[in-house]
Amino acid sequence: MRIYNFLSKKVGELTIKYSNLPESYIKRSYEQVYWKNPKGYPQYPAAQIARKNYRFTTNRPWTMQFGRQNERTTQRKKVFLEPIGEWMYFKGDRVEILVGRDKGKQGIVSQVIQERNWVIVEGLNTHLRVVGKDKSFPGITVQSEAPLLVTTGVKLVDPETLKATDVEWRYTEEGEKVRVSTNSGRIIPIPKAAQETVDYKSRELYMENPDKDTTAAVANKITFAPKLQTFEMDIMESMGIKEDRTPATTYWY
Amino acid sequence: MNFLFNNILRNAAVISYRSHNSLKLYITAIQNITYIHTTSKHNNLMDFFDNKKNWNETNIRVGRAWRLDELRIKSNTDLHKLWYVLLKERNMLFTMEHECNRKVRLFPNPERIDKVEESMNNIETVVRERNTAYYTLETGETGERPVEDVVNLFGLPEKYPKNEYIIPKFMNTRWVKSYLEHGYINSLAVKKFYRLYQEKLRSIKRNERNRNFNHVQHLLKRFPDMDLEKLQAEYPEVDLEKAKRTKKARGHFLPKY
Repeated sequence: MRIYNFLSKKVGELTIKYSNLPESYIKRSYEQVYWKNPKGYPQYPAAQIARKNYRFTTNRPWTMQFGRQNERTTQRKKVFLEPIGEWMYFKGDRVEILVGRDKGKQGIVSQVIQERNWVIVEGLNTHLRVVGKDKSFPGITVQSEAPLLVTTGVKLVDPETLKATDVEWRYTEEGEKVRVSTNSGRIIPIPKAAQETVDYKSRELYMENPDKDTTAAVANKITFAPKLQTFEMDIMESMGIKEDRTPATTYWY
Repeated sequence: MNFLFNNILRNAAVISYRSHNSLKLYITAIQNITYIHTTSKHNNLMDFFDNKKNWNETNIRVGRAWRLDELRIKSNTDLHKLWYVLLKERNMLFTMEHECNRKVRLFPNPERIDKVEESMNNIETVVRERNTAYYTLETGETGERPVEDVVNLFGLPEKYPKNEYIIPKFMNTRWVKSYLEHGYINSLAVKKFYRLYQEKLRSIKRNERNRNFNHVQHLLKRFPDMDLEKLQAEYPEVDLEKAKRTKKARGHFLPKY
């Protein structure tokens, strides 16, 4: 149980949101449990043998690549993560790069990897990578973006001055939680692209699967009418099942 | 549904055994089975499989699970129906998963099983809420299975879910009274076990404390300009001043003083 809680803390909230998968599925897809004591026997404690340390990279936890990177035999060095408090960076944010070759340039966040305090900025901080090199084929060179640390690598851009700024979370008078630039005091809205998941770009654009999904109209329809009945009584009444027998007194101990 | 199906089959078998024109009766009984289906489509055993057009799909995209708030606005009948829709879906998914494993194929979108199970759990929660509300209003009790806090054989606290019996406790000679009211709690063996168990718990706690202290030292070495308030918020038990003074937290450079 202890190990389980420990694991669940590791995958970031935004990662789960982006995947659009149930949390339980993400857990069971990346977890490596080698042994679990059988349930329901008093002589066995609820113990399990599982991998404790996973290396989170740009490969998302539910993918096959993640599993391959965390094979049973591989053990990698511990990654130290700077505690950063509340997360500030979302997909679609405009950020300025503070380190590396593209220092001073501004770009759009294309990926957020919360497990490592990383963001990937579109088309910036890149390196060249040779793909598919063979004896007979020289390979194709592609540009790939390297992740940047949110603590030292990037800063959000103030929409007023268009310059890098520190940001903090505050509440508006309506009680809404917003990001506010400390330089100009302007609200930096969370971009629409932050809603994007693996399945859809934004919530409204989700295409219902007519075979499997309940349509929104049916799901939102209110059919509940309060009655002084238990669930079972109501179902029996609607199905015309009559039960007049009184149950014998029983004892709970 | 399955139960009904079995029942009719069994009855049909009995009738056919007894009567002379057995085959005819058996066939009529089989034909009657179709009346039991409440769903519009009835493919008999093929209900355990997905639609044939989905068999070669690699990605079957579906929406999310039902949430509690969405189920709370539904009537009992709707919940009852939805439960069976989900149950059929879950059976179908398990069958398809098994079949895919058998044929050494990739089962598309296995997260569907989790979505269905989450929905079913939510339905159970909502039904339980409604029943608890009814019973608390009518009888003043929740109507849930009573649970007692007891000290078990090992001297550890345990939740004991009570069982239902038709005779009272004092009459029931077969109920092992000693399970709960035994004289072992104060025995030497239980006391020794309890002492060692507490020692184990203490050592787990101490190890965690030491591990956190060590981790904080490493963090201080790696990120000297770190926000200490956030660090303290994450590791509230660690003494940061003490951690900063240690050799491990210093890093590889000459001190300025």
